[in-house]
Amino acid sequence: MAQCVQSVQEFIQDSFVPMVAVLCSEDAEKVTRKNNLNFSELLRPFCRLTSEGHMRDPNNQVQVVKNLRISVNNVVTRPSVPASGVPGHAHRRLLSEVVLTCQPAEGGVANVITAGDYDLNISATTPWFEAYRESFLQSMPASDHEFLNHYLACLLVVSSSEAVPVEKFLKLSQEQHRIQHSGEYTNPKWFIPNTLKYYVLLHDMSQGDEQRADSVYEDMKQRYGAQGCYLLKVNSRTAAAGADEQIPDPWSQYLHKSSLQSQDQYEDPAPVVVNDTAVENNVGGTSEVDGHDSEEKDGVLVNSLDNTHPLQLDTPSDPPGSLDALRAVAVETKPPPVATGMAAATSHGACLTLNDHDRIRLFIQEFTFRGLLPHIEKNIRQLNDQLVSRKGLSRSLFSATKKWFGGGKVPEKSIAELKNTSGLLYPPEAPELQIRKMADLCFLVQLYDLAYSCYHTAKKDFLSDQAMLYAAGALEMAAVSAFLQVGAPRPYPAHYMDTAIQTYRDVSMNMVLAERCALLSAEVLKSQAKYSDAATLLIKMTSEDSDLRSALLLEQAAHCFINMRNPMVRKFAFHMILAGHRFSKAGQKRHALRCYCQAMQVYKGKGWSLAEDHINFTIGRQSFTLRQPENAVTAFRHILTNDSQQTSTQQGAFLREYLYVYKVTHLQY
Amino acid sequence: MAVCIAVIAKENYPLYIRSVPIQNELKFHYTVHTSLDVVEEKISAVGKAMADQRELYLGLLYPTEDYKVYGYVTNSKVKFVIVVDSSNTSLRDNEIRSMFRKLHNSFTDVMCNPFYNPGDTIQSKAFDSMVTAMMVQAS
Repeated sequence: MAQCVQSVQEFIQDSFVPMVAVLCSEDAEKVTRKNNLNFSELLRPFCRLTSEGHMRDPNNQVQVVKNLRISVNNVVTRPSVPASGVPGHAHRRLLSEVVLTCQPAEGGVANVITAGDYDLNISATTPWFEAYRESFLQSMPASDHEFLNHYLACLLVVSSSEAVPVEKFLKLSQEQHRIQHSGEYTNPKWFIPNTLKYYVLLHDMSQGDEQRADSVYEDMKQRYGAQGCYLLKVNSRTAAAGADEQIPDPWSQYLHKSSLQSQDQYEDPAPVVVNDTAVENNVGGTSEVDGHDSEEKDGVLVNSLDNTHPLQLDTPSDPPGSLDALRAVAVETKPPPVATGMAAATSHGACLTLNDHDRIRLFIQEFTFRGLLPHIEKNIRQLNDQLVSRKGLSRSLFSATKKWFGGGKVPEKSIAELKNTSGLLYPPEAPELQIRKMADLCFLVQLYDLAYSCYHTAKKDFLSDQAMLYAAGALEMAAVSAFLQVGAPRPYPAHYMDTAIQTYRDVSMNMVLAERCALLSAEVLKSQAKYSDAATLLIKMTSEDSDLRSALLLEQAAHCFINMRNPMVRKFAFHMILAGHRFSKAGQKRHALRCYCQAMQVYKGKGWSLAEDHINFTIGRQSFTLRQPENAVTAFRHILTNDSQQTSTQQGAFLREYLYVYKVTHLQY
Repeated sequence: MAVCIAVIAKENYPLYIRSVPIQNELKFHYTVHTSLDVVEEKISAVGKAMADQRELYLGLLYPTEDYKVYGYVTNSKVKFVIVVDSSNTSLRDNEIRSMFRKLHNSFTDVMCNPFYNPGDTIQSKAFDSMVTAMMVQAS
């Protein structure tokens, strides 16, 4: 795998963060709207805590919580991704968009890797993969068998300009209660029946009455306790004030992704061409407008090119068809650039000074340390007490029934648990789920020892009940917490992960969860330098249903091969070619071209003419569709100048293609 | 019965490749090329082991979903690679070894030809016919 920006621990910790929901009143929304942000977006850049928190675990030992990050989202009652294991259409488009806009810099950092007699010039990092991974993990749907994505707390935000803020708070609180308990909404999911409610009074400095705000705040403190509320002052200057000082804009990087997501949900995809890849190409808002129109026509081209096997050269019957398509691309005059208005340069945070930034940062810190962490701690303690008492009781029950019914078959445990299948559902108050909840809570606040033991217990329970989906979840998290344990008392249980992945794929048919498992496990194996294991794992995850995912995983596997102690250069090249093929099937032309070019470095001049011809041919085609005709011509010329071992029809096809590309190139000048 | 047979020179370029289903030839080229990585790994692992018939035969290099790839390296670092269909389970190790031995013998004959320059591709008809006898009969 290529080197990533984050270390393994950071990556895993960032993937599972405590989730906090936000319910805003309309006035509060208006206050933040002055900055072109809504409330959760306002908080987002400050969500990584710079100082350390302290927690007591059930044994009353103080644990330090470092570098915690929380995730703040608006309450969205509509599911963005269906709960089934197959990612929805909008989800897929979002992911492909993310990868599309993340391209390697021209002439970027390249390593020269010398292996045997190969000197390769490849880049050691793959930022598009990290971008994909991040948005994939962020957009995972909340499921019932695990609680990591469930909301722990809810921020209720009311503006200080409200006539009677207290009443508004009450209304919001009832709203949250209704959303959680009325059972109408499957999304969002809440962790515990009494979610922590934190009351925020939002005060607009530029147009509010500060005295009044302070007095309301005092009132709130009386009602909800000093630990349960906060007065947040923002908007210290008006938008009209010129930019005398350069205020940093940390919101732009976070907003890019989220606006894409919302756009996908509101836009109807214009059905352009027949196949799916064309629809993926047609998402509004690519950052390069040139690429946009060529990709539209590519819908047709892609169809004719890539229905073949990745390693197959086109038979002579194909080129005429594709030549026509190539002609169609060249002849089309460029339509006027499609302005999608997404990357519009709106400024964010125009009303906030640096003081405001600090205040927001302080607010989040206060909320986490005074509100969220104690709440979690209390719940862990509660669950632990329940667990200890129940363990005693159930153990004695179990041994008693065993004694009565003798050996042989294990007696039916108790009422509602059916046998077998992934359709097994636990009622929300089931003891096994309580263990899982406790384990998840511990994991979210970095109490990995306790988390591991709980996951282990939960796994045993689930396995004995044949609840495979739950068991897989517990296995996955047990493996991860074993890895993250400080001092590493036990080695990383890779077999847990393998079982989990297998269960997700075969029993529960949930590719999304399996993918997450694979990504985590591969990252861990890479950090332990077990590259061949990681590569095998990644390759096993490639499948027919998602081209983009397979392409990215194959590319990562290729990087694994090259990073081994004895680099397996040819395997790297081979997997790059496979990845390139999947990329072009997924409509990511630039990435495909890059993969083929890197693979070419390995095959160049080594005498494997058939393979070399194939790569050159594909590079030529890809370069042509990406409007790089000079490269195309060079690539095609290579095919013609070597003594070709191809059949005569094949050579004829090459020659025709070359002449066509050459003609088009030189007609333009 | 092999599906693809390849002879690869010391410098890792192919001296001779033949595969039976002509349409998938490219795939076999890639498979053979990639298997060279595994061959090199095994050679370097063996270290200074000197000529012993057993050491020359490398065994199963790696199985893919459809094929099994076997390797054999001579003392002059010329490599033979045989690709066999996975569904053909009746093929035992001994048979593969005998195939390699025959290949090696024919290759030695080719080398003995005074008109053959080492490093050229193999054009000998006798070699061809021996290989054809070992390949799966195209139906």
